[in-house]
Amino acid sequence: MAPAEETLTAPGEEAGKALEDARGPADRSPVLAPDLVAEDFGWQYRGRLSPALEGLTFRVPAGSTLLVIGPSGSGKSTLARALVGLVPHEIAGTWSGTLRVGDLDVAATPMQRVSARAGIVFQEPESQLVMPRVEDEVAFGLENRGWARDDMRARVPDALAAVGLSGFERRATAALSGGEQQRLAIADVLAPMPGLLVFDEPTANLDPPGMQHVFERIGEMAASRTRTLVIVEHRLDAALPLADLVLLIDDAGRQMAFGPPDEVGRAHAALLGRLGSWVPRAWAPWAAPSAGQHVADGRRGDADGTVGGGEDATAEGMPLATSPAVPDAPPRLAGRQRGRDRAVLRAEAITVRYPASPGGMARAALADVSLAVRPGERVALIGPNGSGKSTLLFALAGVRRPSSGTVRVAGPSGLADPARLPARDLARTVGVVFQNPELGFVASTCAAEVAASLPVAGHPADPSAPEVEAALRAFGLERLAGENPFRLSEGEQRRLSIAAASIGDPAVLLLDEPTFGLDRRGADAVVALLDRLRDRGQAQMMTTHDPRLVPACDRVLALDAGRVVFQGSPNAFFADPPWRPAWPWQP
Amino acid sequence: MAVAAVSFLPAPLEPVRPALLTRVAPVTRLAVGVAWLLVVVLPAGPGVPLMLAIVAVLAVVLLSGLPLGRVPTRLAPLALAALGLGVLTVLVNPANGDPTAPAVIATGPLRIAAGSVSAGVTIALRLAVIALVSLLVFAVSDPTRLADSLVQQWHAPYRFAYGTLAALRIVPLLAADWTAVGAVHRLRGLEPRGVRGRVAAFGRRLLVLLVTAIRRAERMALAMDARGFDADLPRGVYRPIRVGRLDVLVLAVGLAIAAAAYAFGR
Repeated sequence: MAPAEETLTAPGEEAGKALEDARGPADRSPVLAPDLVAEDFGWQYRGRLSPALEGLTFRVPAGSTLLVIGPSGSGKSTLARALVGLVPHEIAGTWSGTLRVGDLDVAATPMQRVSARAGIVFQEPESQLVMPRVEDEVAFGLENRGWARDDMRARVPDALAAVGLSGFERRATAALSGGEQQRLAIADVLAPMPGLLVFDEPTANLDPPGMQHVFERIGEMAASRTRTLVIVEHRLDAALPLADLVLLIDDAGRQMAFGPPDEVGRAHAALLGRLGSWVPRAWAPWAAPSAGQHVADGRRGDADGTVGGGEDATAEGMPLATSPAVPDAPPRLAGRQRGRDRAVLRAEAITVRYPASPGGMARAALADVSLAVRPGERVALIGPNGSGKSTLLFALAGVRRPSSGTVRVAGPSGLADPARLPARDLARTVGVVFQNPELGFVASTCAAEVAASLPVAGHPADPSAPEVEAALRAFGLERLAGENPFRLSEGEQRRLSIAAASIGDPAVLLLDEPTFGLDRRGADAVVALLDRLRDRGQAQMMTTHDPRLVPACDRVLALDAGRVVFQGSPNAFFADPPWRPAWPWQP
Repeated sequence: MAVAAVSFLPAPLEPVRPALLTRVAPVTRLAVGVAWLLVVVLPAGPGVPLMLAIVAVLAVVLLSGLPLGRVPTRLAPLALAALGLGVLTVLVNPANGDPTAPAVIATGPLRIAAGSVSAGVTIALRLAVIALVSLLVFAVSDPTRLADSLVQQWHAPYRFAYGTLAALRIVPLLAADWTAVGAVHRLRGLEPRGVRGRVAAFGRRLLVLLVTAIRRAERMALAMDARGFDADLPRGVYRPIRVGRLDVLVLAVGLAIAAAAYAFGR
């Protein structure tokens, strides 16, 4: 247990000591853990046609941990923001019902009094860290609340110790790893000693080791029962064991269930599957009867469920988690058009060096990496953050030229160095789908977005071209042809991005975290699309932190510190444990 | 991807040993720096910027605590720009076309008036002073200290000062986004053709960057508000910046040098 946590008092022990002052407690003792009460609570963002949350009614006792579960678009993050007062005080919309944090009615209490009691950790560390140095970053929240300098001096090291970052005081925040940055963000909200901590998908951007560290810290806090915790997570296997209570929300923001995890799981695991959310492993037995029904059962309010449009049903409804792994079997021959033994993507001994980093030596982001990918083969590229996955993907795409070694891809006119191809030929050779598809959007409607890629295939960029309609239909986006790409859900954006990259029918598709941030329904839809492209002979390579995606690949390539440390079948990867301590992955 | 881009930025240039100017409040250096910049842009001959440049070089070498081995690399781009602009001013100057003006060189078509040389040297020296002063103001202490000092000594609004710091943190991320957007456009086969094509491509890239910048800023603002940034309470001070006799001395000497340079350098 970290030293800072030991000084905390148990809930109720010093009842009545909680100050109403927005500064937090005058004697700098922790604010008491509050209970959380919702009575028919709802919220509708301004300009939206339907509420984000509706009819939430629950009571979470002080000091317990609540896990909020639901598919994408279910309003989980909205609830997180309401618990710290950002909704309704900083965000416009319509409030209904009651939400109380301890004795504070959130809607009727000024934001700063709510935020003095409650801290929130968001998904992206880079968007919540303010100051260039670690200790200044932790002190920022204390300065805002008017703490005295001596109190701050005493508190900052404690808060850092509580997240395992002792000794990091003088480090630059930008130079920390993603996991360290996220633990720093937790130290930030811990420092003013709030009684309620809200985690809004705190590990979504982290690699498995970073995620494990963060969950260890949250687990310690949950076990100490000195704070009320609310966790919003897609990674349910890690979060569920920490929860005392589970709140289940459907895709329309309505409360489906509330209660102890086992009770909710037993009664509603099947429903959760149908809603398109991930189902925690512990609930799998209860979810089993309805597995595979989630797309077919008519609950398709969200376009993420409409993939395939009925025209190609092969992969429809097949949950990603149970996608058959074909580890050492020979590649399937059906539909293969490009000759199966010739590699369409080959890298030989590529090394990429970056210039010297601050205070360090020039280091190789990639060292001596060789690989070959055949048509119709799907390769998972895994490894901790900073291991060179993205660099390798960029080198293979010809965006970053290696310092030494060669890259060859099969283009329209034979094997070529992607870095030397004209853009139009490159797009017919290698397709790339970025983790953030928004970076690639160039048009104001989905149809125009796909049409912008048409010149690659030798057609004029006409949004009303039949090719555009065909592509949108094939990717389940025909309903959204006139919609602005920036307004789509994450899953829809990912599919639009794949649709645009597929216009030139590239032999190789490179994807950066293709299931990032998606619920099961969204991830299934993306994988179903990729299956179809692969079955037509496309070679695919994808970076991923998602262990659920690995069995859907033919081969695993693991990088660590820029070197290939494992290459083989998914089964062999999960069977052979040397990297298990560093990569706490479960198959 | 973004994180990697940040960690490969060049190391910041910062003092490596205690020195007189590191003990002075950032706003004191800012005040002297602003006075020098005002004097250096006043119309005058090369004498004024020359004197200030000499004093600024001495201050960097003796009083800044900066690692001297790394200063030239940092100043090289600006030095090149100063030199280029100076030479250009000498070559392309209306005085060269005046047959009555005294000439330094007059061979065939090439005629360079003495006035042009003086103007070119002045321009180059002015840029040199600006570069050296910005080093003394912005490299001797980090942006955090400058923000602290602006808030504590000059009572600048803290929202502005620390909001700017937060925005500075986003800049490298945006730089990474900019590179990524260019790459993904090329990968989509969108190679601009002709001037209009290039302008359109630039516009597309800028638009995406703008959208991502706004989203990042919105998320950052929410996170800051959740941490009490908008609480409007008397703010606590974690890094007090003290102003003492040394500051008065530096300010007096700095202003005196500016006045002397202007008085005697013209």
